[in-house]
Amino acid sequence: MAGTGSAPETQLTSRERIKRALANGKTGRISKDAANAVMLGVFRCAAYITTLVLVAIIAYVVINGAPHISPDFIFGWPQGVNAEGGIWPTIVSTLYVTALAMLICTPIAVLAAVYLAEYAKQGRLVETIRYAADTLASVPSIVMGLFGYALFVEAMGLGLSMVSAACALALLMLPIVMRTTEEAIRAVPRYIRWGAYGLGATKWQVVSKIVLPSAFGRIATGIVLAIGRAIGETAVVLYTMGQAINLPISPLDSGRPMTVHLYLLANDGINMNAAYGTALLLMLIILAFNLFARYLSRKSR
Amino acid sequence: MNSTDTQRPETASRPKRELALVSRSTYLKERALQYLFFACAFLAVVTVVLIFAFTMLQAAPVFTDIGLANFFSLDWAPTEGRFGILSLAAGSALVTAGALVLGVPLGVGTAVYLTEIASARVRAIISPAVDLLAGIPSIIYGFFGMVIIRPFVAEISGGLGFGALTAWLVLAIMIVPTITTLTIDALRSIPMGIREAGFAMGATKWQVIYKVVLPAARFGIVDAIVLGMGRAIGETMAVLMVVGNAPVIPDSVASPISTLTSQIALDMSYSSGLHRTALFGMGVVLFIISASLVGIVRMLSKKRKG
Amino acid sequence: MRTTRGCGDVALTRRGLLAAVLASASLTLLPGCSAAESSEQITVAGSTTCLPIAEIAAEGFKEETGVSVLVSGLGSSAGIEAVSNGTAHIASSSRGLNVEEQKLGLTTIPIAHDGIAVIVNEANPVDNLSVEDLCAIYTGEISNWSEVGGPEMDIQLVNRDEASGTREAFRTIVMGDAHFDRRAAVLPGTGQVRDVVSRSEGAIGYISMGFVDSKYATTTVKALSVNHVEPSEKTIASGGYPVSRDLYFFVKGEPAPSAAAYIDYVLSERMDDMIREAGFIPVARSVSES
Repeated sequence: MAGTGSAPETQLTSRERIKRALANGKTGRISKDAANAVMLGVFRCAAYITTLVLVAIIAYVVINGAPHISPDFIFGWPQGVNAEGGIWPTIVSTLYVTALAMLICTPIAVLAAVYLAEYAKQGRLVETIRYAADTLASVPSIVMGLFGYALFVEAMGLGLSMVSAACALALLMLPIVMRTTEEAIRAVPRYIRWGAYGLGATKWQVVSKIVLPSAFGRIATGIVLAIGRAIGETAVVLYTMGQAINLPISPLDSGRPMTVHLYLLANDGINMNAAYGTALLLMLIILAFNLFARYLSRKSR
Repeated sequence: MNSTDTQRPETASRPKRELALVSRSTYLKERALQYLFFACAFLAVVTVVLIFAFTMLQAAPVFTDIGLANFFSLDWAPTEGRFGILSLAAGSALVTAGALVLGVPLGVGTAVYLTEIASARVRAIISPAVDLLAGIPSIIYGFFGMVIIRPFVAEISGGLGFGALTAWLVLAIMIVPTITTLTIDALRSIPMGIREAGFAMGATKWQVIYKVVLPAARFGIVDAIVLGMGRAIGETMAVLMVVGNAPVIPDSVASPISTLTSQIALDMSYSSGLHRTALFGMGVVLFIISASLVGIVRMLSKKRKG
Repeated sequence: MRTTRGCGDVALTRRGLLAAVLASASLTLLPGCSAAESSEQITVAGSTTCLPIAEIAAEGFKEETGVSVLVSGLGSSAGIEAVSNGTAHIASSSRGLNVEEQKLGLTTIPIAHDGIAVIVNEANPVDNLSVEDLCAIYTGEISNWSEVGGPEMDIQLVNRDEASGTREAFRTIVMGDAHFDRRAAVLPGTGQVRDVVSRSEGAIGYISMGFVDSKYATTTVKALSVNHVEPSEKTIASGGYPVSRDLYFFVKGEPAPSAAAYIDYVLSERMDDMIREAGFIPVARSVSES
């Protein structure tokens, strides 16, 4: 689409001068088409490297992990010194704590987003809330772990337990769900609300009967994404859930999530087969959640 | 926790007409719900304050028993009563800087390719790949770094393979999705008209990208880089598994170092007394860093809006 | 096997995380424990080094007698504290009692030897180091293999994390009052140390004797002689190999019959192979221990 400059040298209009400046910068050593081709190639390379890295990681984990996945591995208990056998309790611990975190986080995050999107007037208070949410989203996970340990485990006396870890994870998920929910609510067209108001609905009726249902798909996407994040979290749960291999029943039970199991196996460096198997299962679960989120978001569009 | 703060913005600005039409009980219910929603939203503020206050409380002896001179010195030797975090902070800085040098061109480049260059078909493949890359948990990156990248670095450097170089490679991969996604947002927000004007002047694609698109999106890209930086500084598990955990200023990029986050994670399991307070002190430092980075991003975006 | 749970009523004490582990574990009631057996339970708390032995024994002991044994690894000191205040029946420890703890009136029962092998890369021609050399290497005084009769090559130090019992033992036996070189890589696992050393020519590390030839490992490392004594089961059991220690159980007063039976089980010949598999060396029954 770029016309090659073939104007006579004598008449330099301002248009021509800009064209030249654009074409060659101040000096005209490299032809602009060559520069174009090279740089587009560079960008393409960047994108390909990114994709390649993803493929490499997934392929590596799949190739090394797949031979060790079996029903016995998934549903068995770790045995003996080197955690041979299965990883069932760690899968249950991971799912348990994530579900609990979701139950704690979702109502708060959704209602908070409702406030920000529907009720709040822009002002310093809302600014503060947004700043807080952004800060919360960027708190390093190990700091969240330290805090969770100091508050939930020690000060509140919940011990190293599912509920301590779930609370800390909920804090991690809160800003994610809050942001996606707020965006979802804002994406609901105004005229639907006006229609409802016109029929005499109160604000809560509009929100609960009109806005939230129509934003449901995108809210669900946000929740599922946050779940994916929580499942993969290690530093937060390492010091809030404990490391005991245990099938959790009550929320006060301790347990060992898959991520921590993988960390300990990798550190021990003895039974690497189990580490690869755990890594693969963990990745599959997270990928499944992410793909589900993509599916939800496409459906709601 | 919120009763004092709620009244200010609500009562002043609410139009009277809207609620005068309903019965008193409905009005009260609506009002109560509104306060509930506000309480939920305000919880974010409460939590952030709590995190800071609580970590600070645990770290209080840093000021009294350890002393700031000790805390901000180079020697980290908890068993000998020396709790200097500077070499750890230097490790964090070194690791983050290298990750940015590698990760920013890759991330921004990928974003530019996806928004400006790629065909819809290619985009449909690479764009989900970036999303999936963002979803892979840090422990898997760490594991991958430990079993693949570390031996590789050991091979080329002749050392153990633990150190900044390995951490750079791992962290660069990890921050690419963050930077890419945010840069894509920034690039998409630039009106097509600007690009078309550029093309109409006879500019090549690269010229439009370099002279028009990137300058126009610069604030958004800086946002992306700052947030990627936050991710790199705060990353714990992946770093812990590849840096070698030696709390010293390194001789080379291939010799073991330690960072604030990894040292906390490593020591937390057995530390007690002053050692533990020092870890919480490091937590406070990390919290302040990440909160200021967010503050910078917010300031930038305010500037951008005018 | 279900691991790492303590029981009994434990107040949160100064030991921070460790105490919290125990406290939380005390909240945990294992659904798998049938009610009939839960009346009698033995608690073993203490060294993480002893964890594998205590756990394997617990597994076998439960099958044999129906008495369940709860094993938790909190560190030797915490275990000794737990047994002296009655929280646990048995303390497991990777060290003897210190002067203060000797006043607590605990009975010492050696359960296994733990030899620490000093490992280097197979390509390294050095075969022997004295304890003094080792100390100088780990303080950073000696930083090249040529100083100990090897080739011109930098020494790459691999150390364990401070929570490790092996590091504690190595420090006590080899280092004395000297401090570890802080430039050393600190790795939080035995297998990782082994793997790293097996791949880096100049590396030196130390691991429990039993993991030198691991059935999981795909690479090999070379265990050095120390003071010209090769590490082997014989030299460790006889005390000839310098870098070794004993693992102990401690009980307070006369142990309960079930606890005594468990201790006997740990010391019985059936456990020998298991103890070897966990990387340790069983105590010779003929040799009397101090």
